[in-house]
Amino acid sequence: MAPRVVIVGLASDFGCQVQMTNIEDDLLDVLGLIDLQYWQLASSGHMPEEYDIAIVEGAVTTQEHVELLKRLRKTAAVVMTIGSCADTGGILALANCVDPDVAYAAVYGKGPEVARGRRAPGPVDAVIHVDYRVPGCPIDTDEFINVLSRALQGLADRTPVDPLCAICKTKENVCFLDRGEVCLGLVTRTGCGAKCPTLNRPCTGCRGLAPDANLEAARAAFVSKGLDPTELERRFDLYNAAREVTR
Amino acid sequence: MSAAHTQERQMSSDGNPYRPWPARITSILDLTEKEKLFELRIIDPEIREAFQFHAGQFVEVSIFGVGEAPISISSAPSKQGFIELCVRNAGDVTGALHKKRCGDVVGLRGPLGRGFPFEAMKGNDVLLVAGGLGIAPLKSLINHIHDERHEFGKVTIMYGARNPSEVLFRYQFDMWRHRDDFNLMLTVDESDDAWDGEVGLVTKLFEKIDVDPDNTYGAVCGPPVMYEFVIAEMRKKNMDVDKIYMSFERRMKCGIGKCGHCGVGHQYACIDGPVFSYWEAMNLQGAI
Amino acid sequence: MFFRVIDKERLPDLIAGLSSEYEVVGPVEKDGRFVFAPISDPAQVRLDYDTTLLPPKKWFLPPKETIMRFCRADEEVVDDEVFAPPRVLFGLHPCDINALLLMDNVFLEGYVDPYYKARRENTLIVGMSCMPTETCFCNVWNTDEVHWGFDIFLTDLGDRYYASLRTVKGAEILDRHVANRAVSDEDTREFQRVVHRFKQGFNNNVDTTQLPVLLDAKFDSPIWDEIGDACLSCGACSMVCPTCYCFDVADRLEPDQKTGLRIRTWDSCQFKEFAAVAHGQNFREDRASRVKYRYYHKQWGYLSKFERVLCVGCGRCARACPAGISPVKVIEALQTGEVQ
Repeated sequence: MAPRVVIVGLASDFGCQVQMTNIEDDLLDVLGLIDLQYWQLASSGHMPEEYDIAIVEGAVTTQEHVELLKRLRKTAAVVMTIGSCADTGGILALANCVDPDVAYAAVYGKGPEVARGRRAPGPVDAVIHVDYRVPGCPIDTDEFINVLSRALQGLADRTPVDPLCAICKTKENVCFLDRGEVCLGLVTRTGCGAKCPTLNRPCTGCRGLAPDANLEAARAAFVSKGLDPTELERRFDLYNAAREVTR
Repeated sequence: MSAAHTQERQMSSDGNPYRPWPARITSILDLTEKEKLFELRIIDPEIREAFQFHAGQFVEVSIFGVGEAPISISSAPSKQGFIELCVRNAGDVTGALHKKRCGDVVGLRGPLGRGFPFEAMKGNDVLLVAGGLGIAPLKSLINHIHDERHEFGKVTIMYGARNPSEVLFRYQFDMWRHRDDFNLMLTVDESDDAWDGEVGLVTKLFEKIDVDPDNTYGAVCGPPVMYEFVIAEMRKKNMDVDKIYMSFERRMKCGIGKCGHCGVGHQYACIDGPVFSYWEAMNLQGAI
Repeated sequence: MFFRVIDKERLPDLIAGLSSEYEVVGPVEKDGRFVFAPISDPAQVRLDYDTTLLPPKKWFLPPKETIMRFCRADEEVVDDEVFAPPRVLFGLHPCDINALLLMDNVFLEGYVDPYYKARRENTLIVGMSCMPTETCFCNVWNTDEVHWGFDIFLTDLGDRYYASLRTVKGAEILDRHVANRAVSDEDTREFQRVVHRFKQGFNNNVDTTQLPVLLDAKFDSPIWDEIGDACLSCGACSMVCPTCYCFDVADRLEPDQKTGLRIRTWDSCQFKEFAAVAHGQNFREDRASRVKYRYYHKQWGYLSKFERVLCVGCGRCARACPAGISPVKVIEALQTGEVQ
């Protein structure tokens, strides 16, 4: 029997759910593997009571999200996060860099009391255990299919732990650091195929900190290339500001 | 390297050493909660015929869609047509293998690696020491010695497991308990009420044996932490560094000396080992 | 070996001629650096290149390669054919040709790798002389010279090339595609002068005395911790190395989950999980042990099997390492006991 799947969005722009529709040719094959019971982007109905796999997009920004995640974890045998927001808190977590009083005053002219139940934006795994993850902004459809396939087979999570430089080298890109430009590939989790550098854009760290990254060595590398080492973490905040929160 | 310690390399018949050959699971035996014993038969008769191995060698088991895992052969080379693999459910491939049923087909490559120097061991006493899953490759050697028992002097087998429920191949050892041509010594770290064997680390068993150092070969296999202590006991008995053999577990991926994963010191465990003499192992930086 | 001379201005004839029979791959410019890429016009070829981002190994051991297709239902291989079109690698420097000879030892000795072998057999090598750059240290390993492993080797004598012909095929294609003439005594004298100038041009010299002994004797040296602290474990060094051959193999299912591919990709001993086994044990968990292993294998492990070090001094790793770790620095540190 095909596993029952729900796809749920927390705080995000739904970009990764949209990206899933971009699977195009293979979408029917993928849908054939699962019993898709609920897809927030495409369904108007309610979440079912029972399901086997919960796919979660988006950052945790409210108490309501926390409750939902706890329910998902209790019901689903497998929880899979997709996209930077769910994986690292993503861009939403930048809010953590600003005093909430100042931020709310600027937007609403009032203090944080306008949004009750709000919490500092953070990743899903700050609230519940995550079994499989597809990092990135947006997700790569091939990686999504592969991770889903691993989940369906019950294979171990194989989210890469190494930085990006190696795959970037295989694409024969000229190193941004050598060109005097800030690139975060040397500490960012690999697995994206170095798409951005290959399109002549430095890495912005959307896949999060590589668990085996050597930050101190990266700062030293910045210095030796004539770059400001404080830029490393400042730029890294774009997708990873919540790492302070989760520590 | 002695001539007896070499082995001819075998190739798949189409010359692609990466290509697994279909093998049928002919029997599955639950050994413990985590370990099962699989009996496999290569389907192609020519490949099956060509599959001649030495105790201590391994195969790469392939489950398409999941990958490959190196597994040492547990049956004796004298058992023709079938091979036995004792597999712990510890990763993706072994997990998928544990889900297979009798009659299912898996992929097989091998035999691979360098085994124990069986020919050189003949005419000598043998002291075999296994810890935990380390009994898997040693069982091949034990059974081979059994099949040619008259070629060997005293045969001592020491086997330590964490507790009685983790003792592998108990059915065979129970059968051998009363034989006087095998000195079989089982020990567990933690015993239970039903256990009537030894309790304690396998090294403790050395108190109970006499070794004729000039005429004894040692074979050791177990978890990495075990080697240092077992070797120390063997050296106390004055056994020669080049008559003690040990099998190493490393991350053997291609199994044929190309992919680089199983590097140990300046050697590769997959083609230079997995069986090394203690002298060789001493020369492998970071091995023990 | 036979020798012929060809006029420099006639070289495009050779490239164009080869293009009619083979896919020709040569050095071309990319964002101010160089890569080996298929060429459609001889004018693209930049024989003044210093070094390339990736070495030629990618044409024999691609960064990502399907080694077989399988069907899950039958647990059987349905296809393990090798795609190896007739190809010419044009303009390889001596270091890179020597690197291929070192790779040959791994992939063509013992168990033969059919994928590497097919490509090697279907590829002609045309070598080209070079001048040392800042990061070159091939002089250290004597890989600044190459005597086999090519079909034609061209030494730049200014207005002409001194062509060394190693194989029948090399001699034939030279004859077939470009006007050439016999070598004069003056040509050979000029050849010697050029080679002499080349040998004088190296910046890097490092004491490689008794390296295997040093590596064993200093296995526990704190030098490795120091180098390990600086290392990013990014694997860039392995990717750009012309002699690093380690790979990973993984299965990918097609979206329908019925068939799939067994794929091999370049791997690096610098990656954390490279030496980890299923039971959870990792034999090289910390960075220092991984950096050490890379050098230990190159300068001693490989040597113990093939009597050569697994390095040709191309300098690519020194350029690619964000932390500036290079074999010259590591060997110096081992010799002197200090990391410079």
